[in-house]
Amino acid sequence: MADMEASLLEIIKEHAVGLTGELNRDTPIADLGIDSFSVVEIIYEVEEKLDVEVPFNANENPFGEMATVGDLLDALENLIKK
Amino acid sequence: MGAVTPLGASVDAFWDGLTAGRCAIQKRDYAADRFSLTLPVAPVDGVDERIKGLGVQLMRADRFSQLAALAAEEAVAQSGLEFDEALGARTACIIGTGIGGQSTFDQGYISMLCRERRPHPLTILKLIPNAAASHLTIKYAVKGPSFAVSSACATGAHALGVTAELIKSGAADAGIAGASEAILCYGALEAWKAMHILADETCRPFSKNRNGLVIGEGAGVFVLEEEEHAKKRGANILCRLSGFGMNADGKDMINPDVNGAAGAMKLALKDIEIADPKSVYVNAHGTGTLLNDPTETKAIRSVFGAGADDLAVSSTKSMHGHLLGAAGGIESIAAILALRNGVVAPTVNYDEPDPECDLDYTPNEAKERDVSVALSNSFAFGGLNAVVAFEKV
Repeated sequence: MADMEASLLEIIKEHAVGLTGELNRDTPIADLGIDSFSVVEIIYEVEEKLDVEVPFNANENPFGEMATVGDLLDALENLIKK
Repeated sequence: MGAVTPLGASVDAFWDGLTAGRCAIQKRDYAADRFSLTLPVAPVDGVDERIKGLGVQLMRADRFSQLAALAAEEAVAQSGLEFDEALGARTACIIGTGIGGQSTFDQGYISMLCRERRPHPLTILKLIPNAAASHLTIKYAVKGPSFAVSSACATGAHALGVTAELIKSGAADAGIAGASEAILCYGALEAWKAMHILADETCRPFSKNRNGLVIGEGAGVFVLEEEEHAKKRGANILCRLSGFGMNADGKDMINPDVNGAAGAMKLALKDIEIADPKSVYVNAHGTGTLLNDPTETKAIRSVFGAGADDLAVSSTKSMHGHLLGAAGGIESIAAILALRNGVVAPTVNYDEPDPECDLDYTPNEAKERDVSVALSNSFAFGGLNAVVAFEKV
């Protein structure tokens, strides 16, 4: 799982155009400078780079209210496990 | 006004290039996977840093939306308008494109067919022709009538004219209006090449040795405003958009029609009194194709009669190439600046008179001229015509 988390963090970092400091589990989502569609882009990159399928439907708001990068990582890892 | 053009990415840089008679056309290579081609084109360079500053949404947009946003930034800043809730609700945003996100299409197909990867998830949002208009409504919180117009090479003129009509009708007090095009990518250029209408070296409008058009990219965006609204706030009014003519040939997808072009010009001039044809400048459609240039010449003669010999005419496409949908946008800027600065931009690469094209095309060098009426002609593939007319305020 540590490898998976490192890969996911790397992908999130590529999309975090507003990030000035460090990226870790405690980083607030609001500091990433991403918008709603970034999540779709991040999932696309996750699928391409990790060769996994993420059962994700943007209509179902599967991420709910996320506050930190840790929340996003957990949500992504849960989807990948499905 | 805001300009992003092959001659420069601001109105001042564009005008400097136009009046210096500088030709921005150059040969470039375009490749996709194992395919490639080399063509003369008129690209926009040196805007990457400004695009990065457009914010997260526009950074990921197709280039045609990005160029529209850069042009809009200049136009909105110059207008001095601030779109608060009340004005935002009364402001239209009509940004056209002839083709839309062609390079996004290209990347999607390359991804699927050459790399066996799915298209990027933003593909649709990037390529839809209304993307530029939508991005600008978001950027400026503009919530009035907003959509894209698309009429190939007449798009920019249609966008301006339709926005002016919306303001006249009372549907809006102001409008962000213009057009953008950015299709310099392998697939699009190969398709244009297949039509056998592209020049092999450069664009030579009205010159006997012309042999086709050169594709360019860029955007021309304006802030239009109801005259009393602008006067009341003490705006620096650049000119009056005093005429708009549009019609269709209803005849042929490629071959232009004298009567259609002349009819659109007459409609644009119907409320304008021309005291002296010497004070009229026509920024011609002037594509440099075999058929357009003599047809447009005949159309101008049929509108102005004997006065046609006194007009100042030029095709600035000889310098910035054919911006397709955006042509009427940036060429309207050339027309307005002729009006304001008393200088007519030239038709460069003009080196051999053609008996079929017998007007004063302002060959090769800009000239001083006291212009009181300026026209921008746009005649599209598919026979859709749009002409806008400007006068001093």
